[in-house]
Amino acid sequence: MTAALDYFLMSWLDPHLMFLTAAGTFAGIYIGAIPGLSVTMAVSILISFTFKWDMNSALAVISGIYLGGVYGGSRSAILLNIPGAPSAVATGMDGYPLAKRGEAGAAIGLTTVVSVFGGFIGILALAAAAPLVSELALKFAPRDYLLLAMWGILLVGSLSGDSLAKGIFAGAIGVLIGMVGLDPMTAEPRFTFGTVTLTAGISYIAAMIGFFGVAEVLVQLHELHIKAVRQDVSKILPSFGLIRKYLPLATRTSALGVVVGALPGAGGDIAALMAYDHAKRTVKNPSRPFGQGAYEGLVAPESANNAAVGGAYIPMLTLGIPGDAVTAVIIGAMYIHGLKPGPMLMIETPHLFWFQVGSLALANIFLLIFGLTGIRIFAKIVEAPKPILLPLILVLSAVGAYAINNNPADVYWMLGFGVFGYFLKMYGFQVGPVILGIILGPLMDRSFRQAMISAGEDPVQFAGEFLTSPLSAAILAALVLSMASQSSWWRKLRGKRDMHEPLARELEDSASAGNV
Amino acid sequence: MSTRRQRLPGELAFTVLLLALSLFMVWQAYEISGFSSITSAGVFPLAATATMVVAMLRILVPALRAPAEPAAAGESRTEHFVRRLVPGALVLFTLATAAYMFALERIGFVASSYAFLVVSMFLLGSRRLGLNLVVSAVALAVIYVVFRTVFEVVLPTGSLLQGVLK
Repeated sequence: MTAALDYFLMSWLDPHLMFLTAAGTFAGIYIGAIPGLSVTMAVSILISFTFKWDMNSALAVISGIYLGGVYGGSRSAILLNIPGAPSAVATGMDGYPLAKRGEAGAAIGLTTVVSVFGGFIGILALAAAAPLVSELALKFAPRDYLLLAMWGILLVGSLSGDSLAKGIFAGAIGVLIGMVGLDPMTAEPRFTFGTVTLTAGISYIAAMIGFFGVAEVLVQLHELHIKAVRQDVSKILPSFGLIRKYLPLATRTSALGVVVGALPGAGGDIAALMAYDHAKRTVKNPSRPFGQGAYEGLVAPESANNAAVGGAYIPMLTLGIPGDAVTAVIIGAMYIHGLKPGPMLMIETPHLFWFQVGSLALANIFLLIFGLTGIRIFAKIVEAPKPILLPLILVLSAVGAYAINNNPADVYWMLGFGVFGYFLKMYGFQVGPVILGIILGPLMDRSFRQAMISAGEDPVQFAGEFLTSPLSAAILAALVLSMASQSSWWRKLRGKRDMHEPLARELEDSASAGNV
Repeated sequence: MSTRRQRLPGELAFTVLLLALSLFMVWQAYEISGFSSITSAGVFPLAATATMVVAMLRILVPALRAPAEPAAAGESRTEHFVRRLVPGALVLFTLATAAYMFALERIGFVASSYAFLVVSMFLLGSRRLGLNLVVSAVALAVIYVVFRTVFEVVLPTGSLLQGVLK
């Protein structure tokens, strides 16, 4: 236990790590806030810059950027009515009306406090649940991993984008990209077209930067000039009474955020929209009607999306299955540092786990400090003109793709994936499932073959085991249920009390606005 | 769900193209090891590519049914496609990016990045040339210092001007 505490406090006591966490959080707030920069983009690019660092330093920066970025989007949603990140789409619905009433300062203050509150709930859940989940995970058979990975891709594919089929296609093409190269089990070439260069596979870093960096920049070219509205941001510190009043709601929506974040594939953006929906359905007397500046409309999504961060780390650290697109990228980072996220990670390197929890907690404290200060300069930076910003992102992307292997070919791959991703996005596909597919594809392939071999290569036996093993049956049931709840007949069954339709529409809007 | 959406110009062609790609990949997946065994290297690729084909068919049907986004008055189909998907600035910017990547290896990071930044800022509509020159120089200086000191990243030095420009 004392050892765990030591590791937990590592980033708190080492000035270097503390500085990195603070810098990451600070940068994250701005990255999240500036429309056109996303956390996924930033983390993808950062991976290749930090691969020479030791793992702790890299994780400290990434934790800060992740937490800061999820929060930062809310500021531009409130001040400019442009969600800086998809997780802030719901925040703008009541945040911007509040700003128009001259309460931008109060809105930002309250948002900051509930974000930090949600963040702590998420971190607590991570600290409490991950050790249990990883013990359970030791009992997982290969077929369970296969199911979990499929569930993750299906979830992210169904909850975002405009159709499940498009999500599945995106996931499958990601799996395909992930399998290019020599088969790790038999060394047979797969999709190499007889070339030598492809036998080593396609760099997933180049793919990530292409899909999340270059493609995003190209989509942003459609909206180069968005006018910002100046807001009054004088009074920021919210009163204690105001916070206490919304604590019960924030607790409920944080719990919701943790659960959604922990589901493989579903992250803060979905958690925020579900929390907003939850608040709308359960709060009887909001401070103002929803959509016209209700404080509840800020509290719910903002506590949920930060709580989802801790939640998303749970499956990532215990199962090696990313909780959302950012954790998919972080898994990529861990691979580069020679770590294998999964149940053995907690057993072999418990220090890494407690360090991660500690740096997230520290980042959350920095979030409170930075969140309540420096708002005046903030507006200026967020208004950075895109004609200047976008070329800079491209330079960073190019160097990021190059730096990982010092291989110029990776830069061309990045551009190719960027252009492909641009067309995918424009035609209503999501790129999140592609990345999940790339990361999870090899795991699924290996799990499938191991499961099939252990079933004596008998397909009937193989299929039967999904039902006879209680654990597999439970995961399968969860998968089928969550998919069925998305289908049209389920919606008809539930009648008008429908939640995912507006949710899907919101996400689609945010996707078409190019903010994903 | 997607029937609500209007079909963008080029969407059908893109869908058909992806379907063709998926079918081609099924064939490629089959080529890996055929149906030699249920745990062979080719089975999972076959499953993934077959999934792509099925999903693409499910995408094609609503795409066919969806109403096409109306073009502006007096606009040809090509003009519509260009305006919505590949406007001039986007094409030029992509070409500039490709040229930048080509130059990166040859004339090195600093020179190629500087040229790319100045040119693409201008392309994207930032017409104050003096400002572009200064912003690019400052940003590049910051990036260079941060990369070399904080991240210790090796930047391409360029084969043509080795030693002259780093």
